[in-house]
Amino acid sequence: MFVLLLLCAIPAYLLASAASLPFAGQSPDWARLGILFGGSLRATLCALVFAVPVGIAAALFAAHFCAPRLRGWLRAALELLEAVPTVVLGLIAFASIAPWLATHVAGVVVACVVAPCALFAWGLATRTPRRRLGWMPLWGVPLVVAALVAGVVLGAGIDGTRFVPASPWNTLLVGLVLGVATLPTVYAMADDALAALPSAQTQAALALGATRWQALVTVALPAAMSGLIAAVCMAAARCFGETMIVLMASGNTPLGGFDWLGGLRSLSAELALELPRSAPSGAAWRELLLVALLLLATTMLLHAVARVMRTRLRARQVA
Amino acid sequence: MSRARNESAGVALLGGAAACCVGVVVALAAWLAVAGFAPFWPTSVVEVSLRDGAVVLGERVAQFDDAQVLRTSEIERIGGAYRRLRPDDIVSTALPRDVLAIELADGRRLFARDAGDAAALLAAAGAIESDVVERVAPNALGFGSRCMLFVKRVARFVAGAPDTSNISGGVLPALIGTLTLVLLMSVLAMPLGVATAMFLHQRRGAYARALRSAIDMLAGMPAILYGVLGLGLFVHGLGARVDAWFFADRLPVPTFGSGGLLWAAATLALLTLPVVVVSVERGLAGIPASLREGSLALGATREETMWRLLLPLARPAILGGFALAIARAAGSVAPLMLVGVVKLAPALPFDAHFPYFHPSAQFMHLGFSVYDASMASPDALRGVPRAYACAALLVLIVLTLNLSALVLRNRLRARQRMLEPA
Amino acid sequence: MNAAPVSVALSARDVSLWYGARQVLDAASLDVASRCITAVVGRSGSGKSSLLRCFNRLNDEIDGARVQGSVRVGELDAYARGASLSELRRRVGMVFQRPNPFPMSVHDNVGYGLRLFGLKRGAELDDRIEAALRVAGLWDEVANRLDDSALDLSFGQQQRLVIARAIAVEPEVLLLDEPASALDLAAMLRFEELLLQLASRFAIVLVTHNMQQAARVSRWMAFLHEGRVLEFGDTDAIFTNPHRRETEDFITGRIVSGD
Repeated sequence: MFVLLLLCAIPAYLLASAASLPFAGQSPDWARLGILFGGSLRATLCALVFAVPVGIAAALFAAHFCAPRLRGWLRAALELLEAVPTVVLGLIAFASIAPWLATHVAGVVVACVVAPCALFAWGLATRTPRRRLGWMPLWGVPLVVAALVAGVVLGAGIDGTRFVPASPWNTLLVGLVLGVATLPTVYAMADDALAALPSAQTQAALALGATRWQALVTVALPAAMSGLIAAVCMAAARCFGETMIVLMASGNTPLGGFDWLGGLRSLSAELALELPRSAPSGAAWRELLLVALLLLATTMLLHAVARVMRTRLRARQVA
Repeated sequence: MSRARNESAGVALLGGAAACCVGVVVALAAWLAVAGFAPFWPTSVVEVSLRDGAVVLGERVAQFDDAQVLRTSEIERIGGAYRRLRPDDIVSTALPRDVLAIELADGRRLFARDAGDAAALLAAAGAIESDVVERVAPNALGFGSRCMLFVKRVARFVAGAPDTSNISGGVLPALIGTLTLVLLMSVLAMPLGVATAMFLHQRRGAYARALRSAIDMLAGMPAILYGVLGLGLFVHGLGARVDAWFFADRLPVPTFGSGGLLWAAATLALLTLPVVVVSVERGLAGIPASLREGSLALGATREETMWRLLLPLARPAILGGFALAIARAAGSVAPLMLVGVVKLAPALPFDAHFPYFHPSAQFMHLGFSVYDASMASPDALRGVPRAYACAALLVLIVLTLNLSALVLRNRLRARQRMLEPA
Repeated sequence: MNAAPVSVALSARDVSLWYGARQVLDAASLDVASRCITAVVGRSGSGKSSLLRCFNRLNDEIDGARVQGSVRVGELDAYARGASLSELRRRVGMVFQRPNPFPMSVHDNVGYGLRLFGLKRGAELDDRIEAALRVAGLWDEVANRLDDSALDLSFGQQQRLVIARAIAVEPEVLLLDEPASALDLAAMLRFEELLLQLASRFAIVLVTHNMQQAARVSRWMAFLHEGRVLEFGDTDAIFTNPHRRETEDFITGRIVSGD
């Protein structure tokens, strides 16, 4: 019982202490709170832009087209990625990617467009036998890398001033690295959602003459949709609360607006930077508790949505 | 058939995404391995003749489009002798074989043309012979001896103490701090977690369901929030009380009232508890009901069944939860920043003085060293490589702990499977 | 391997199947006659379902499965290079052991196959869905709940729904993989009546381990033992005069155990 009390302590503690501190005279700095919230939101959205398409597409591939042995490896590899401490990813972002990205924003943008186009065109041009396609995650790596490099090279030709970031540590950088960090979350949850679907349904679709692709799009995808949405929500919750990467890669400048090349400061970074310096029960302390509460409320909201979605997924599977 | 073509294009897109995932993992591993160990590889010392007639000796530490940075002999202080050289400043570059590279105990590096030059440099740097930790002629080294030197440097990094400003030197205190923290965290979290899971496993109904979803939610809470909780509840709350009752004579200097090893471990234990509970309970739920009923039918009580049958059977799940807990605990730095991790705490948390183990002591942590060395080092050209070395070590530790728990789990599982009928 | 029926809807010749290194089928040959029921019987694990899945190449979806031999549906050679899987599977429908409706409405379930083959919305789609549901004997029960989720139907209704789904595309051959194994006796007898009605329109291959069922409904019967077709012929003839010991053991064993 003691444990359970302990477990419920976080929200209780935050609420109680925030409520108990008198708002003596001055009201909290809502504008700053808004900017911090906006910073977290921007980082999250930017990360999801990278993580969600890649993670879900990879999970779809793993569930429907992948060689079964490779599927296990793929999962293990991504679990390994999940075990990598985020401070390490933050370091890579801060020290290695940031200086490079400062001059290659256009290249990255072009690469993000060129790579899928190249893959699509390649798929149109060649109809490979299915067995070999099952191993594509392995031999496709050079293909993807080549497409990305080509994109970057093409992008280097563009020298538009629109693509010059205000600071080497900006939202795009945070999004890229945070996206990598949440990739395992998206993948694992999407994979679970797809694996939970009865294989009999896919089999029935195949027996009716559907191709694997049609079975995926017409049967599996609609059935798993709520699970996939849950995956996105969980990933968003994770991004929103992630601290180290944002702390190291964002520049920590409290800027408003939605500039994807500008710096930002997130709720979590504010806590990590300011809390150790502030004395308990001071005005700054109270502000920071509000920040923590906001963070808590948002993550709980996202979790609740994910939970509802997962319940719906389960309800649909009951045959 | 255009439909087939469209479909194969779609599959190629999905496959490309999967390939992307693999690529990211591989690239990350490769980059960490290279960047993490490159700082230990002996580099050559170059002799550069400049246009103004000067000749400088040093290591090339950075290369930009328009210039290169040379680290020359650091006579005054560490990080104080970088020279930025543009290509048109340089007349010629040479690699003289008999150049000496000397490293002092405080991290300073000196480059000398010969033994006499070296003695003069040492004198100028105010160092004596016993301050020298490494003295080699790097340009004359063969591949084999470079490898030897590399291994020696790695050993010095892992098992050595840092210099007084934590710019260079070893990371032993951080390593010990990380491991102690994880150990202490496990001691706190595992029994509680398993007990909670057992408790939950025996309950059904709305109450248990609500608890379960609360725990699920807690497992996904941002780590930094646990740091806030640890700071407010443990450090400022509990710690201040403990100080007032037991260490009143030392106030206002806090003993438990400031961040320390114990509070950090307790915070991490809170952080990992939900993960442990979820995974152990899932393991318990996976045990067939028939086994449980069989035991009950033999006259065992519910408690006996739990202790004698279910718990041993759930051992793989417990180990799995342990692995997850370790990965989460060893990798989360953000909460530690609030509850007692420090840049430099040369004293280890245990020593020869009673009570031998000091849970209130501040401590170092590899993850925080990564952050600190890269973001706050006064010498950025040393800080980033050092951060990478710490990062590689940290990843190695996390993966080792993680994998060993998983291997153990799989062994146990295999043994249990052998007990089952085919 | 005698007694070629008058009109053959599907003929399998020397079909062998491996899952990895394990051989599941060994040169199985079988002719399926039009407009009647051919039962495939045998013990569990004798390869009945695997044989069925060779007919519509569903084994292709299993990694490591390898098939030799030939299967012809009418003029279509199922294992020819470049044979269209979707055409084969349109002509050879299949119903699984447990009903597996898609998580969509009744209407969309039955219309699924039709839509795959290009029939979009409209009166024709609705008409064919209704026709299929009528043939499956489900129309009266679901006529006014076509837009409900198929998962809300009862077990028996789901069973008939998946049959309706399979016959909506008007296949030539219908493969039934132990479809009645989860039904109680009364429901099973009703289901057999439905099978006999269906047999007036399609060639049906019925996999079952229930000998009485095979005796009641089938015109032809194949006995599968360890991946081989030991006996194939007129059902009555096999029951009254089995050529092989294994067949006799199986038949009598079943009768004795009173299944």
